[in-house]
Amino acid sequence: MKRTYLSALLAAALIGGASASTLVYGSGGEPVNLEGGNVTDGNSVIVHRQIYDYIVGFKLGTADLAPGLAVSWKPNANYTSWTFTLRKGVKFHDGTAVDADAIIFNVNRWWDPKFQYGYRDQGRTYESFGEQFGGFKGDANSVLKSVTKVNDSTIRFDLTQGVPAFANLLAQGYFGIASPKAIREQGAKYGTPAGTPVGSGPFKFVSWRTGDRIVLAANTAYWGAKPKVDEVVFRFIKDPSARLNELKAGGVDFTVDLAPDNLAAIKADKNLRAVLKPSFNVGFLSLNTKNQYLKNDKVRQAISMAINKKEIVQAFWNGLGTSNASFLPDTLNWANSKSVPADYKYDPQAAKKMLSEAGYPNGFTLDLWYMPVSRPYFPTPKPIAEAMAADLAAIGIKVNLRTKDWAQYLDDRNKDPGFDMYMIGWTGDYGDPDNFYAAYYGTANATQDSGYNPQNIAKLLDQGKSALNQADKAKIYAQVHELTYAANVRLPIVHSRPLAAARTYVKGWVPSPLGSEPFNTISVEGKK
Amino acid sequence: MSAYVLRRVLRTIAVVLGIALVVFVFIRALPGDAATVILGERATPESLARLRQQLGLNDPLPVQFGRFVSDVTRGDLGVGLKSQIPVLSDLRNRFPATLELTIGAILFAVIVGLPAGVIAALNRNRFADNAAMTVSLVGVSMPIFWLGMLLAYLFAVKLQWLPPSARTDIGVTFQPITGLFVLDGLLRGRPDVAWDAVRHLVLPSIALGTIPMAIIARITRSSMLEVLSQDYVRTAAAKGISRGRVVMKHALRNAMLPVITVIGLQVGTLLGGAVLTETIFSWPGLGSWLYQGITDRDYPVIQGGVIFAALVVSVVNLLVDLSYAVLDPRIQYS
Repeated sequence: MKRTYLSALLAAALIGGASASTLVYGSGGEPVNLEGGNVTDGNSVIVHRQIYDYIVGFKLGTADLAPGLAVSWKPNANYTSWTFTLRKGVKFHDGTAVDADAIIFNVNRWWDPKFQYGYRDQGRTYESFGEQFGGFKGDANSVLKSVTKVNDSTIRFDLTQGVPAFANLLAQGYFGIASPKAIREQGAKYGTPAGTPVGSGPFKFVSWRTGDRIVLAANTAYWGAKPKVDEVVFRFIKDPSARLNELKAGGVDFTVDLAPDNLAAIKADKNLRAVLKPSFNVGFLSLNTKNQYLKNDKVRQAISMAINKKEIVQAFWNGLGTSNASFLPDTLNWANSKSVPADYKYDPQAAKKMLSEAGYPNGFTLDLWYMPVSRPYFPTPKPIAEAMAADLAAIGIKVNLRTKDWAQYLDDRNKDPGFDMYMIGWTGDYGDPDNFYAAYYGTANATQDSGYNPQNIAKLLDQGKSALNQADKAKIYAQVHELTYAANVRLPIVHSRPLAAARTYVKGWVPSPLGSEPFNTISVEGKK
Repeated sequence: MSAYVLRRVLRTIAVVLGIALVVFVFIRALPGDAATVILGERATPESLARLRQQLGLNDPLPVQFGRFVSDVTRGDLGVGLKSQIPVLSDLRNRFPATLELTIGAILFAVIVGLPAGVIAALNRNRFADNAAMTVSLVGVSMPIFWLGMLLAYLFAVKLQWLPPSARTDIGVTFQPITGLFVLDGLLRGRPDVAWDAVRHLVLPSIALGTIPMAIIARITRSSMLEVLSQDYVRTAAAKGISRGRVVMKHALRNAMLPVITVIGLQVGTLLGGAVLTETIFSWPGLGSWLYQGITDRDYPVIQGGVIFAALVVSVVNLLVDLSYAVLDPRIQYS
């Protein structure tokens, strides 16, 4: 086996290496690392999806669960105990078995701060696990109580509380299952460019040249659909225009997160095909109820009526976004209330009148903070903020546009007195309304940045999390929808459809609404 | 001479240590930290507190500084908080890319800027002078980002003469030796690799070298004009020495001191990394890495990157100072 690693390391030292059918992906940046439990960024997760398998998978192009390493799973009646039956005969790329022991090893590595192979003393934090599962072993809020081997192909998770979405949590792209042998052998190097990540996914790791590219080779022994290309190269091209240039020049075969205004250029190029990813995000304007003006319900309602969302979405997303009156994207609209209008009413006259009724006929001045970075939900934050400022000026609210460095922005929004109004958003991790609502309602954070965190919403969110079926969930989240709509504290501006594009010979690419999908269905026949 | 060099080396060490201290204090004075950036929109007070504890950000400043100094004296610049990659390893991987790009940019700047300056000086107030100075003015004024995009679009997308980004094509396979791919291609007896690396180097070098080219052209022109008006140049011309010889042997060499100074300053600046050029051309150098470190509040990356950049600038300045003695024998160091 030493020889295997020697070859892998030698391969890692080599540069490039295109073969007969190479699929080149233009990634928006370099992965942070290639081990599960430690990342949440899309640039890492898309590579994880190729190298690793997950306990639970997703049906292609949807947020619906599908068998992964587990062929089936069953919760007990109150969702406090989950039993997973594992697929038999699956091997990691290093030839070792993917069995109950291997999965428990991975879970313990993420969950147990004292686990021998966690390497926490060397900087590993497994923060994405802590974030998704309420902390680590020994923490008061840890969702996980124990993970037990029932037999070689059966494991059981016992939880401290009922979590109906537990399988969804495990299916997230953050929790790929790695070879325990590889982790033991590589120590703290595992997952870094100096290591060799080993999973059981459709592609095997070959090399990682920092700042430039990662190369993976097809896993011809894959248990699922066999890859249709010999290798995949992930090129790190941070600038969206540079990614589009590479796509046009043929340097990459497909890419993601392009600026919405590139749509026309893509459509005009006969060699390219625009690919619209399903929307699974929300970009919103958050209002701070601790502000002397914004604590007034009528002022907030006036603001919601003054912003011409439809025009803004049309102007800045080039048709690649939708606007509604919900925090949830359309894929989760089963959880919306039917009594809430399709969107906020745009009526500047009524807004002006309402401002007068609130006692401010001559308006006032507020700060509107826009993000210094681009996100799929707000690709061009400054011009969008300018458009909102112009709408608000029309009803007499003078807006000072402000921004600051991203780290400061994230920090200062939660510090008293907070920002008057600020732009932020959320991209979903899994298909449950709680994943959207819980981040900005019903947490201590909600109180910090908006001063708004009523107990009735917090209680409903707790109930929603524990609801046993979708019908019960729908009833609970419909109430959350009604309350949040009426509160006008976080005004949803857009659910954007991230723009991706491919050369026309790229076939079989089915983008996931969750942002990352395996590439084993993609072929490049006809590529020169 | 050796005493002078020793003094300069000691001074460089003092400067680097001073910079290390200043950077250590200043980056921690900024609001926000690595935990805030790593967790981003997803941060909750609990997860922030937990991650800060894990990353050692809650330790008192003197403890953190003690740890930092102890590590640095052992040649360990720490591990990136976000990537978990040792800073030294990142520096080792990225510096050759920056060095190669710097060499390309300076070569372009000197090859175009120096003759342009000389021609402008020899044709003072005539068409060639006005044309060269107009081009250099445009070069100085042009935003690198815009120029880079323009070059990539024109030569890579439209004309398809050169690749739009990266250091090599996907299909090029070889084992680097120095990390300077053009050189490595030659050392490995692989002219195809060297040629591929040169093709990838052209556009970023032009984008990055345009401003230094313009500055060199302008400095060369003014320095040449000054030298050309000196008595010894007139004497040389009066003695019947050919114009070319007068210019090349007598004027240009003496006009080079300020030009070398400017080239040295430009090299120092470029070796610190070129964020915009690296971003446009996906060049895996120091600039974009350090910029990302600053954005991420990744203290070890910022500290390591700044200390390294300070060291490089100091060494380049020392080399420039020493080159004066070679160019002008009247200059002696003691």
